[in-house]
Amino acid sequence: MEIKTSAFAGTLESSDIQIMLMAGDNGIQIDLESDVIKQFGAQIKHVITTTLQQLNIDNVKVRAVDKGALDCVIKARTIAAAQRALETTTPAWEVL
Amino acid sequence: MTAQVVEMQLNNPHDRTQWQHFLTSLGITNFSAREVDQIDTTLGLIEDDQLVGTGSIAGNVLKYVGVCNLNSRPGARFNQIVSALVSRLFQAHIFHMMVFTKAKYSLSFQHVGFKELAHSDEAAVLENGSPDIADFVRQLPSITNQDDQRVSAIVMNANPFTCGHRYLVEQAAAVSDLVYVFVVATDASLFRTAERVKLVQQGTADLPNVQVVSGGDYLVSAATFPAYFLDSAASAIEAQTTLDARIFKTQLAPALHITTRFVGSEPTSRTTAIYNQVLQRELPPTVSVQVVPRTEVADQPISARTVRQWIQSGNLTKLNQLVPPTTAQFIKNNLSVLQSRIQEGMKINGN
Repeated sequence: MEIKTSAFAGTLESSDIQIMLMAGDNGIQIDLESDVIKQFGAQIKHVITTTLQQLNIDNVKVRAVDKGALDCVIKARTIAAAQRALETTTPAWEVL
Repeated sequence: MTAQVVEMQLNNPHDRTQWQHFLTSLGITNFSAREVDQIDTTLGLIEDDQLVGTGSIAGNVLKYVGVCNLNSRPGARFNQIVSALVSRLFQAHIFHMMVFTKAKYSLSFQHVGFKELAHSDEAAVLENGSPDIADFVRQLPSITNQDDQRVSAIVMNANPFTCGHRYLVEQAAAVSDLVYVFVVATDASLFRTAERVKLVQQGTADLPNVQVVSGGDYLVSAATFPAYFLDSAASAIEAQTTLDARIFKTQLAPALHITTRFVGSEPTSRTTAIYNQVLQRELPPTVSVQVVPRTEVADQPISARTVRQWIQSGNLTKLNQLVPPTTAQFIKNNLSVLQSRIQEGMKINGN
């Protein structure tokens, strides 16, 4: 599935992550900015990718600016951004 | 305690005084009406009843961003105010944003997801979101083996398209395999952007190797080069055109294999004359700059400004000497609309 509109969720405050989703046509492309990219870059990208796949989104450009978010926060922000991009309002319980 | 984001009303004297006083304390002192009037939204960061940060939005451009880091973790307030601004833009369905800032703040913006397009010793221009400059390049038309071909570029406002513009395009087309004509995208001229693009397309339709495209946010746009549209100090023009030239040199020219930029010589407009000088200083050797002397009619250089003055006066008898038939036809068909735009305050003596 591809997304309809660009959307974002999250903030740039400490312990949060800002996820921006934009239309893409070449799989899930993640551009990550993080102070802990060496230690946790792969893990952050993994959480974003799995969450998007569970929502059946397979073509999207992701801009993520991480400020030290835990996995649960990354997942929550990804879901919120994805639902805004897909213009759905019902919670995706199976992903949560 | 965390700071609260509030909306500030700059037309409210209390908010305005507080805002201006705060920014002045941070060394931001340009509060000229033409800068401040463009602001759509201003946010403030309040902690213990004190203003500790602010930022504004004008179109898709962030402006007047400043924070005080006293009694706070460095960066926290900056991140909070930029978050709030980005969030506002997204809510307004503006997904591509730019910021024009002092070079020393470029890294702070890069830390919150902005990408630097170009910088000079004093200033930097950054963007965030989509479509970005890579998307802009991708949607442009291209030819096969473009990297081996002679590719040229011209940037014009074409307000409106004249025989002088036509001559410049012909000169470029004669020695190139592909000519990109980038038409200024900012809608701040007598002729609307769509009209200017259409007249350039019609006026060059017989030249098969010419592609007329929009300059987007990257070539002489209100974001990167506001002085083009507003009468400004020479130092401001110099600073902005340097960034404009560097975006062209480091981002667009390599991606599109552009090796020559054609410009018309500029005997009358001060802004454009400075721009031409800066291009000649910045672009070589990566991109060579060809200055084509202006075409003259009766010893006068052809100028779109003259055409606009004739539109104002309604005296179109010599119009065909200055503009191609397509432009002349458009002006005759839309004379009253154009004149009413001038009466409503559209300036015709700038660019």
